[in-house]
Order: sequence, then structure tokens, then C-alpha cells
Amino acid sequence: MSPQTTPRTGLDVTIRDVGVRFGARHGGVEALSGLSLDVEAGSFTVIIGPNGCGKSTLLRLVAGLISRSSGAVTVDGSAPRTGDGRVGLCFQQPRLVPWRSTLDNVALPLELAGVAIDERRARAVEALERVGLAGAVSLRPRELSGGMAQRAALARALIGDPPVLLLDEPFSALDALTRETFDDELQRLWLERRRTVILVTHSVGEAVALADRVVVMTPRPGRVARTIQVDLPRPRSAELLGDRRAAELAAEVRAALADGHALELRPWAEQEGAA
Amino acid sequence: MRRIGTALVSLAVFVVVWKLVSVVGGYPDYILPAPEVVAERAWRAIGTGILWEHTAVTLLEVVLGFAVGASIAVLTGVALGKSLLIERVLSPYIVAAQAVPILALAPLLDIWFGGGLLARVVICALIVFFPIAIATMVGIRSTDPLLDEMLRSLGATDPQRTRLLEIPSALPVIFGGLRVGVTLAVIGAVVAEWAGASTGLGVLINIANQGLFDTPLMFVALAALAIIGLFFYGLVVLAERRLLSH
Repeated sequence: MSPQTTPRTGLDVTIRDVGVRFGARHGGVEALSGLSLDVEAGSFTVIIGPNGCGKSTLLRLVAGLISRSSGAVTVDGSAPRTGDGRVGLCFQQPRLVPWRSTLDNVALPLELAGVAIDERRARAVEALERVGLAGAVSLRPRELSGGMAQRAALARALIGDPPVLLLDEPFSALDALTRETFDDELQRLWLERRRTVILVTHSVGEAVALADRVVVMTPRPGRVARTIQVDLPRPRSAELLGDRRAAELAAEVRAALADGHALELRPWAEQEGAA
Repeated sequence: MRRIGTALVSLAVFVVVWKLVSVVGGYPDYILPAPEVVAERAWRAIGTGILWEHTAVTLLEVVLGFAVGASIAVLTGVALGKSLLIERVLSPYIVAAQAVPILALAPLLDIWFGGGLLARVVICALIVFFPIAIATMVGIRSTDPLLDEMLRSLGATDPQRTRLLEIPSALPVIFGGLRVGVTLAVIGAVVAEWAGASTGLGVLINIANQGLFDTPLMFVALAALAIIGLFFYGLVVLAERRLLSH
């Protein structure tokens, strides 16, 4: 851990033995099963796992968008509710409202909360400045590049300054170079204000670059396969991430992912053997 | 400017073709009057005030009928779009009401609603209702589910989602319905007048056609109806452009 003394102002997130099942037909699909995870206030957790392992489901659960079939999810000791201002969610797609200006898109959370127009616009300008998009205030979403749109979406998630920030593969649609810049800036933002961050990704490099702790998930139904502490100092430069220790950690994450796949394949192999 | 130019050229071509047909066919005025005969008749009808007298009534019916019909249609369409239960309960009646010819229904509605302006507004509103309600329902349902989830994640209430997302998303489709509806409003007004009125362009058509055998005057009334239709259609298109400028 870095020796910095920045106060941690995030909230604890606790996920205890949670199961989520979708649909009623044929017993439905089990997205998550018996998943437990403790996320410490102000920590940066990266969740990585194969497609369909329920990573996004997990974030929606913590955001209060969906309800669990079993177990318990709490943010700072109580169940999360959408609109309670404790959790900000940033999606894989920018999801900007096309007929609103960038400014009014970013101000949307405050508008829903009933904040007066002058104040919410002033704060939206600040949020846009924080993500390096001050020039885009009056542009429409269709006038933004993919990267700019995702910055705007990030600003919208940050504007209420939620103590818990959930990021669902927010940079996965961007090209590799832009993505590295984003990772860098995300780290900077997090070092400025230590909120609880849970980031979902497919990228091992991104996981090692950003995480205090990498949580590797199994294929469906998702469970925690392994957690790996990333003990690299911050801020993590490109140089540091090219280091041997970073490579070892990446290899460890990859091995854990491969283990998860093996777990998935085993019952199938047994069936084959029985036939 | 260019658009107006194109429209004028096409109008000129229309009048020339009309004139050619009437000359080549050699039809008497009571079958197909030549353009200049109709123009001259229009001039006289304007002069005596008879054209305006009837046009004013029809205009009022169209405006009120469209306003009432469109407002109720949008509200109903939102309800239909948002609730599967409401759609299941209401849509058979809405479709049935639409399938019954308004021409057959109009005399009955005229009696029910006292035969005055109210009756004609009701008939007009009824014919306007269907395309706008259906367009609104379809529009509401076409809301992007990703944007809806985004709004829900921000804790938007149901009325907030309707106001900030569903209705704006539906607007292009609603305007499609309004375009159809506004032209139907003109038809509705005429049908309503035929069901029992003493003034209005529909009445003028009847007077000219069956009473006076004044076919040029009938053409004048038809042209007035067409111009009313074009005018309100243009207003809807204008409103659409202003609202959907993004």
C-alpha cells in the first residue's frame, strides 16, 4: 500500500453469499451463486472473469438496480437503493441522452435529485473539467468522439461525488492507446479522492495497473475463484507496470482465470468419460 | 426559398394540366370547370363573404377537434405504451371504434352531443385519435432500454422517466401520427358537418353540388379544404423541425 495519508472517504461494500437467478423458465439461469466479497472503504477493486460470469450482474446488484435471489448486499451496512446517492454507476456504453447537451447529460443526476438549474450546471462544468472535457460543454452527444462520450459518462457518474463508484468495463470500447490514458486518469482521480471503486474488466493489464486487489471470478454461475493483492506502489507509471513484479502479478491473474475455465470444463469432461 | 419555388412550379404544372384536360375534353362547367372559371367563382365567393363564413366554421372545428383528439390520444398512447394491462383492456375497444366507419357513427354522435359545435368537435377528435394514440404507444415502447436502465440507476421515478426519456424518445414517431391525424381532422370536420350542420365547407359542398348545381363553387370549397389541410400539415412539420432539431 502507498504511504499516502489521503483520507479514505468511500464506504464499505459487503456481499455475503449472494445468488442471482434470471427468468422462471426451466428454473431460470443462475448468474451468481454463493458469492461473497468484502470491499473495504476507499479501496480499488478490480473484478475480472470470462464473459457471462455475472460481473455486470454483480455491479447492478451493488447499484440497487436488480435484487438478489439469496444472500445479502450492503453498502455501509444497509441495502443499496438507486438514487440514494451512495453509488455511482458507469456503463460499458456512454448512454448519453442524444437530445441533451453534454452539460445537461452530466447534470442529469442532480436534475433528478431536484437541484436548481444554476447549481447543477456549475457542478456539471466542474465535473467535465475533472475528466478533461471542459471544451465539450455545449456539444451534443453525436458530436463527441467515443472517448469524449465515455469521459462525459464518467463525469455524470462523478458529479454527485458518490462514495462508491462502480465501473462496468467503461473503457472496453476504446482503442488501446486511449484506454491507457483513461486508466492513468482514473488512477489520478482516485488518488485525489479515495472513493470505493469497483471496476469490471476483461483486461489483465488494466487490472494490474489499477487494482489494490484483483478478484477473479469463475464462469457462470459466478463465484470468486481467487483474490490477488496487487502490492505495486502508486502512482503506477508505465515504467513500473513494465517491471518484473507487475509481470508476475499479471501471470498470477492469468493462471487464476485459466483455473476457472478448467473448473468449468471438468463436469463436461466427466460426462464425456461416462458416455 | 427553393422549396417554395418548387411548390410554385408544381402548382403551375398542375393548373396547366387541369386546363389542358378541360380544353381537350371539352367538358361543361358542371362536370369539370376550367381553372379560370373556378378562380373567378372563388373571387366572387370571397367578395360576397360566403366562402369565409363557411371556412371559419370548418377551421374552428379542425383546430378544436385536432387539439382535443391529439391531446387525449397522446395521453392514452403513453398509458398504452407503459402498461401492458391497459393495452390489453383498452385496445380492442380502440380498434373496434376505429373499424366502425365514422360516416355511420357521425349522425348518432351528432344526436348524442346536441348537434352543435361540440358534436362536430367530438366526431373530428374521434377520427384524429387513432393514428396518434397508436403512434404514441409504439414510440413509447421504442425507448432505448440502455438509456432507461441508466435513468433507473440514477434513481429516476416513473414520472421522471416518462417526462425525460420516454416521451422525448417517442416524439419522432408521435409526429408521424400527428401528420396523419391533422389531415384526418379536415375529413372529420366535413363528415361531422354532413351529419347535420348549417355552416362549414362540407355544407358548402352540399349546397353547391346538390342545391345549386354550382360545380365551380364546389371546386372552390374543395380547394379551401385542401389549403386548410396543407396549412395545418405545414404547421405540424414546422413544430416537428423546431422540437427535433438535434
